[in-house]
Amino acid sequence: MAMITIAGKQVEVDEDGFIQDPEIWDEELAKGIAPLEEVNELTEDHWKVVRYIREYYLRTGVAPMIRMLCKNSGFTLKQIYELFPTGPAKGACKIAGLPKPTGCV
Amino acid sequence: MPKKIVKGQELSQPARASARVLKRLYVREVPDEHKPAEALKWLDYYRKDRRSLVMAMESCVKCGVCANECHAYLGTKDPNNIPAGRADLMRKVYKRYFTVQGRLFGNLVGAEEITMDTLEKWYSYYYQCTECRRCGHVCPFGIDTCEVTMAGREILWGIGMVPDLQGAASAAVYERGNQGNMTKQALIETHDFLSDEIEEERGLRMEFPVDKPNSDILYVPSSADYLLNPETLKGACQFFEYVGANWTISSHMTEAGNFGLLTEQHSVQRELVERLWRTVAELGIKKIVFGECGHGWRAWKMYTPSLTDYAIAGAGYDYHKRVPIVHVHDEVAAYVKLGKLKLNPRDNRLVPVGQSVTLHDPCNYCRACNLIQNLRVNLYASVPEVREMTPNGEKNFCCGGGSAVLYDDPEMFELRGKFSLKKVAQIKATEADILCAPCSICKAQFYGILHEYHHLDIPINGLIDFVGAALVFKGHRQI
Repeated sequence: MAMITIAGKQVEVDEDGFIQDPEIWDEELAKGIAPLEEVNELTEDHWKVVRYIREYYLRTGVAPMIRMLCKNSGFTLKQIYELFPTGPAKGACKIAGLPKPTGCV
Repeated sequence: MPKKIVKGQELSQPARASARVLKRLYVREVPDEHKPAEALKWLDYYRKDRRSLVMAMESCVKCGVCANECHAYLGTKDPNNIPAGRADLMRKVYKRYFTVQGRLFGNLVGAEEITMDTLEKWYSYYYQCTECRRCGHVCPFGIDTCEVTMAGREILWGIGMVPDLQGAASAAVYERGNQGNMTKQALIETHDFLSDEIEEERGLRMEFPVDKPNSDILYVPSSADYLLNPETLKGACQFFEYVGANWTISSHMTEAGNFGLLTEQHSVQRELVERLWRTVAELGIKKIVFGECGHGWRAWKMYTPSLTDYAIAGAGYDYHKRVPIVHVHDEVAAYVKLGKLKLNPRDNRLVPVGQSVTLHDPCNYCRACNLIQNLRVNLYASVPEVREMTPNGEKNFCCGGGSAVLYDDPEMFELRGKFSLKKVAQIKATEADILCAPCSICKAQFYGILHEYHHLDIPINGLIDFVGAALVFKGHRQI
């Protein structure tokens, strides 16, 4: 368990850099996490994916199915990998402030 | 996770669960100085509890047959990954404390004191074994080395050395009844999305009932299907629709897997069994059908009867005798053999005409649960061309991610790549266009490893996916 400073805030993260308290997430924090996931700048396309994941998480308490994410955000899986080089589960979910997905993933 | 160095040797270890996760698991981490003594108490307990472990400890003559049968050894060439060598990490300690010659002559007879180094080694190598039991299958003595790995992992769990992946998934089991942290709302939204997809493809709307009272069949999917495998859920739904089943999915128990079998059988595995019987009682279930999950099917088929007792099921203590537990592929195969399912392999949305499919046999289906034949009954009926791997069936090689060795920290990911070398060579040799892997762990391993590590761009599907896509519908219920 480690504390790191993102966007001027002390944030508690796990071994993989996922923030531990999803409540503290805001857009400034997302901008701070993005470079750690090889995303240099959050463009409107990035925000579309991140906001969809975030809203789905607040509604259901978990990350959306990958196919659902693609269809509802209007990107193909390849485009999502181009936007988030570390992938939807690791990269996009981390930037959206979700806990790390668990189970056989 | 930084590499641990023990006696000059670098050890790859999966990331450890944090104190926060251990708390959710009701596990207390023993301080380092007391860990060896505590681990020894657990070893004493398991040797008295499990004859299979004592047999593995007492009988091995190091003939070496298992070495070339283990994908982990073939991939890494690490002598500690030879099944006999891996078991020896525990056998040395067993000899020192629980045999006369070991107590008297110590390291002259290969016995060794237990120290923190021993435990660090256990934590590394017992989480590199994927519990595929290919070594047990070839052992002339019938030693099941998987039992040693299981005991090793349980001892480590008891002293608080738990990998984050298994720990976080097990904590989710306590809190939400599945390893993927799914909630009822997530199930419903995903089902709606999949129902829409089926409607687009077939022009028929099929629903996924959730928590429907007075259902006959409880379908238990793997929770990973809700993140990664939409076709698997759709396939099962179309099958139940076709046979006109009165079925439901439960939000209280949505997990075909059971990491408890692989890491801790006393609490985690029991928790899911308890949830299963409570669901059966509440919804009036008459039959339980399990979805695609390899180790899970072994846990449910082989361990449920002995885990169902008064403490878990109360008045339902004999449920396991009254409510059959079956696998979805046994179910489908029974219909296929009777000729009741109309399947058209030439009109399969997932397999374009002219393409072929190869089947990866999940270890636990084949070496623990006798599903080899029925997997093939269903596959040959649903796709135009099948290309078998060699060897296959009960002699298959593991995908390299078995028992949830799905760690993504760099060294462990590298090891997963090495573990899968044998499998990837087999897949390439078939020259098939599509890979069928009817197990959630195999799918997760292949998504990550084939595409990202071996850069082998091949579509991956489960088996029920193909069955669902090949079914010929003329209306809703067809039987």
